[in-house]
Amino acid sequence: MTTSISSLREDYGPIVAALSDALAAGDEALFKAQLDALVQRREADLFKELRKLTCDLQSALERFRVDSRLVDLAEKEVPNAKHRLDHVLKLTDEAAHRTMDLVEECRPLADRTAKQAGEIMESWRLFRARKIEVKEFQKLVLQMDEFLAAARSDMEKVRGNLAEVVLAQGYQDLSGQIIRGVMKLVDELEHTLVGLVRLSKTEGEIREADHPNRGFGPVVPGVDHGAAVSGQQDVDSLLAGLGV
Amino acid sequence: MSKDMKFLIVDDFSTMRRIIKNLLNDLGYANVTEADDGSTALPMLKSGNFDFLITDWNMPGMPGLELLKAVRADPKLAKLPVLMLTAEAKREQIIEAAQAGVNGYVIKPFTAVTLKEKIDKILEQRANAA
Repeated sequence: MTTSISSLREDYGPIVAALSDALAAGDEALFKAQLDALVQRREADLFKELRKLTCDLQSALERFRVDSRLVDLAEKEVPNAKHRLDHVLKLTDEAAHRTMDLVEECRPLADRTAKQAGEIMESWRLFRARKIEVKEFQKLVLQMDEFLAAARSDMEKVRGNLAEVVLAQGYQDLSGQIIRGVMKLVDELEHTLVGLVRLSKTEGEIREADHPNRGFGPVVPGVDHGAAVSGQQDVDSLLAGLGV
Repeated sequence: MSKDMKFLIVDDFSTMRRIIKNLLNDLGYANVTEADDGSTALPMLKSGNFDFLITDWNMPGMPGLELLKAVRADPKLAKLPVLMLTAEAKREQIIEAAQAGVNGYVIKPFTAVTLKEKIDKILEQRANAA
């Protein structure tokens, strides 16, 4: 900060002159009053500078806060989000295939039951009408044995597959949680970009980090690191260690 | 405990509630009620005479851990069996749940066999303690 001597002369000349006049005249009260005026003048200038510095510092800090968050988002969280969405894709893909596999396994079982029942029906009709031949009756009994055993085991398999199909729908919960997390990130990215554009007072928009009580959501392989369990067995041994 | 036991399933995803309900029905438990987060579940628990609580952790509103703490803090509910069924898999979380008094912890994705095992184990421990 360079202040030319002429502006100094202009700013302080009259006061200094009055000061030296008062001193020469031996007027103590006037001298002190002029001295106070001089000090006040100097302080006012200092405060003006200080205020400007503070403002500059504040806006630099603000810019830094927005910039560093943006760098963080761009370098870490956006690629993370891509991995998360990839994982969603994988989960939905696996669930769809698992469901179709199970349904395809069921189809021939249902077909066989219907076909065998159809084969028996004609002989059964004759039997009910008391018109069945002995030989055909013997065949019917054997067919019946086979049908009942097969129907029972086939339908047990179908029932089991149906339960598995229901279980495979669990992907919706896991993928939904991951998508929500990514949506939150997109939302934050939007806010940060808007903040960067405005670079005005954005303190009110700073978001609090989620409370850990709320949970972190599903572990995403390749993205989440650290102290996560590897599976149910890991949970069981951890809990056993804690006496649960 | 008999198969008439009254279950409350708390999860924010309706598909997951449906899956758990289906599995419980397969295990012979027909009396199953659902809630979508801790704050809807808690009043139901307080007035509903439930025998077993299965809860998720990560839910909007009141999360499962807070629900668990609220259950343990209520003298009438303090002994209710609570099974946590969640995707939360951090060791510190499991420890936190154990310290808050959870009776079992199953991580998603899970199998029907695991769910049955954990429910049976909790009921067994109840029977032995009684």
